[in-house]
Amino acid sequence: MRYERERTAPHPRREPRFAGPLTVEGLAEVFAHCVDFTRRPVALEGESACTLTLCYLGGMVRMERVSDYVLRPLAEDGGLRRCPTAAAAMARMEAGALYNLGVARRTTLDQGAFDLVDGWCLLFFPGEREALSFFVGTEEKRSVSAPENETVLKGARDGFVESVRTNTSIVRRHLKAPELRIVEELVGRQSVTAVDVLYLEGLTNPELVEALVERLRAIDIDGVFATGNIEEYIVPAARTPFPLVQYTQRSDRFCAGLAEGRVGLLIDGIPLGYLTPAVLGNFLQAPQDKSSGWLMATALTLLRYGCMLLTLFLPALYVAMVTFHQEMIPTRLALSIIAAKENVPFRSGFEVLVLLLAFEILQEAGLRLPQSIGQTVSIIGGLVVGSAAVEAKIVSPAVLIVVAIAGIAGYTMPSQELSGALRIWRFLLALLAGAAGLFGAVAGAAALIIHLAGLESFGVPYLTPFAVSAGREAREHVFLRRPLPQVKDRPPALHPRNRRKQR
Amino acid sequence: MRRVLAGALTAALLLALSGCGPRTLTGLLPYAREIEDMELVRTLGVDGDGDGVAVTASGGAREGEETHLTAGRADTISVAVLSMQSQGSSYLYFGHVGQLLLGEELARRGVSEPLDYVLRDVEMRLETALYLVRDGTAGQAMAAAAEEGSAADRLEALAEDVGLTADTMTRSVKDVLADLEDRGASFAPALTADGTLTAAGYGILKEGALVGWAEGEAALGVNLILSRVDADVVEVSPPGQAGAALRVVDARSRVRPVFTGDTLTGLEVLCRVEANLAEGAPAAEDSRRQALCDALAGTEAGRIQAALDLAHALDADYLGLCRKAALLAPWHRRVLLEEAELGKLTLTVRVEAVLQRSYHADG
Repeated sequence: MRYERERTAPHPRREPRFAGPLTVEGLAEVFAHCVDFTRRPVALEGESACTLTLCYLGGMVRMERVSDYVLRPLAEDGGLRRCPTAAAAMARMEAGALYNLGVARRTTLDQGAFDLVDGWCLLFFPGEREALSFFVGTEEKRSVSAPENETVLKGARDGFVESVRTNTSIVRRHLKAPELRIVEELVGRQSVTAVDVLYLEGLTNPELVEALVERLRAIDIDGVFATGNIEEYIVPAARTPFPLVQYTQRSDRFCAGLAEGRVGLLIDGIPLGYLTPAVLGNFLQAPQDKSSGWLMATALTLLRYGCMLLTLFLPALYVAMVTFHQEMIPTRLALSIIAAKENVPFRSGFEVLVLLLAFEILQEAGLRLPQSIGQTVSIIGGLVVGSAAVEAKIVSPAVLIVVAIAGIAGYTMPSQELSGALRIWRFLLALLAGAAGLFGAVAGAAALIIHLAGLESFGVPYLTPFAVSAGREAREHVFLRRPLPQVKDRPPALHPRNRRKQR
Repeated sequence: MRRVLAGALTAALLLALSGCGPRTLTGLLPYAREIEDMELVRTLGVDGDGDGVAVTASGGAREGEETHLTAGRADTISVAVLSMQSQGSSYLYFGHVGQLLLGEELARRGVSEPLDYVLRDVEMRLETALYLVRDGTAGQAMAAAAEEGSAADRLEALAEDVGLTADTMTRSVKDVLADLEDRGASFAPALTADGTLTAAGYGILKEGALVGWAEGEAALGVNLILSRVDADVVEVSPPGQAGAALRVVDARSRVRPVFTGDTLTGLEVLCRVEANLAEGAPAAEDSRRQALCDALAGTEAGRIQAALDLAHALDADYLGLCRKAALLAPWHRRVLLEEAELGKLTLTVRVEAVLQRSYHADG
């Protein structure tokens, strides 16, 4: 009997979700057993005296707005009293008798239900098949503050917040060009999250925008509750641990990316802005680079590249040299290593792998605990356990130093995702070096380069401009930073419609 | 695709279980050996032992620890080294040998065998410094040095101090091999056989064997001819003048062929020596300065001539004089490199000494 894995049938999305005309009863059925669903009869006096029904979701609307903008004019407006019919009153209200900025005439149950969820209230008129929808949402949100995860020394401190509309407003304040386009897609069957695509018309390659919007439209998931819910659907993330989308909490960095010709993505509920396409060099640039002097920024970028190589290869090189290629070690250093490894019972490769693992465990423990306890764990783990292990001859000081240097070098990466990917490859390279020495490490490095060369972010090769000819001044944007007045063009790999960015 | 990958992975795992897998892999992968299981040999001594050789290895597995000496005897160096491997618990690793010491007896018999061993061995390096032990054996010298510390430390200190002396220099196995291949003669620094391992001039090698020693003035002359004088102090006493100590700071030599008609009759070494007044009465006057220069030139010329006389007497171009002359007169290259015999040529020297102004205002 052949075993067949049971697979669930695809569940097609129902469009519209709630069919039928918009009625109070229909809404009550949609929001049955919902304690926050409220309907309130409101008497309209005058020639068209009748009882209107106001529906809203408690907590989603601001009560003052309902009272002041809707209920007060209904009770006090003389013009409404003189309307001969309910339809005439409805038309007058839509024309401005009620004070709300946002008003819409709704006819379908689906529209009405989603309006209520979005913080609108619905006003039903007896005998009418339509209802008026007024925006009275609470707009409660965290205030704009400095980004916590990206230190700002010199630069804007208005970091992104959870509200996508606030974030788009922040972007508009930085990029006042009317050409800024904001395309919105709703993603998630249950969360119905607004995902905004931002770009500059006439500057950004439209194919990039189209590709991103297409991929967003193709997403059919339950909800957007984490960053991965979008990231993993718009790039081939399953194939690689390396990040293919850049994120930032800093609005100035986000806007600089848009002005460079990249496409931005803002997700409601997530206080981050995403920039696509992103190549390896982007993840080695710190937000501070553009604020520092060009010489300092270039030196720091080179240092980061050096640290990237160090964190990747140092443990592997140590294992290879100590186990296979002892002639590569200077004599006095070799003598010191031998002295340090005296009476240590484990092989060097095993020692390195165990310590790398211990380093990861310590880091994970420090992250999961509250900050004050996390620091204590790091100190106890790093200093006390480390020195005790060395004194007990369980690990050698040389290995401890190698792993610590590799770990600290990894912390210089501006992107946590890149740092994580490097950590995974660091293990792999150390394993290969333990099996075959430098041959293994070099084979692993070759595999890494092949892997990176095969990656693309929205059609842009990941190793641009190192492995791909990307035109003049390509290296300005990822490797070296020349004085800004000398950098005349936008990155050619993005194929912007307007290459020149300054006079 | 997934099935293919899963199949390949399973096959790889089964290969390891089959028993033949590890052997196959061992052939493909380099051999692993932990560094702590090794004893790093830092100095290797080779002596003649009848028809065979006696090899002495000096190494310290730990920094600052007492030097370990291991010795082995056999007909060939390889077998002697192999016999030494079985003597201790650690693997003797020759990848860090920094100095190769050859005893006088072996050197007179021929240096080709130990140099060829260095050339062929996978662990040893051609950059290893070569020394000849004068009036004794390498084993004795290393044993004596081990009592006072380590032969490697002493020789490393000697190599680092080469710049402070003018009668020795470091020569690697590669240098000597290249010289022997090029002109059939070479030289290597000599050491005393006592525990101090002090420099004792140079041993002159011809056709792969030790034929003589350049010591004293001749050793100083070797450095002058090869322009390897970074610091030397020469005491001079010009006639009718107060004596002085001159610090030689630079020496540049060229070799010029001397032809009579179309026949090569000699080689002339032209050397320019620069010095400072280190001690003595000021040399502000031109006459005194000239007298000091003349005295210095005379001294240095004597040293160079001593080195040249050795080359003439042994008929060994151990200093590469012909090649230097060929560089200056490339149109006589064939005559100089293929036909010249140093024993039949007149070797002369001309030295120009320059006394530079000192830091003192009085000159």
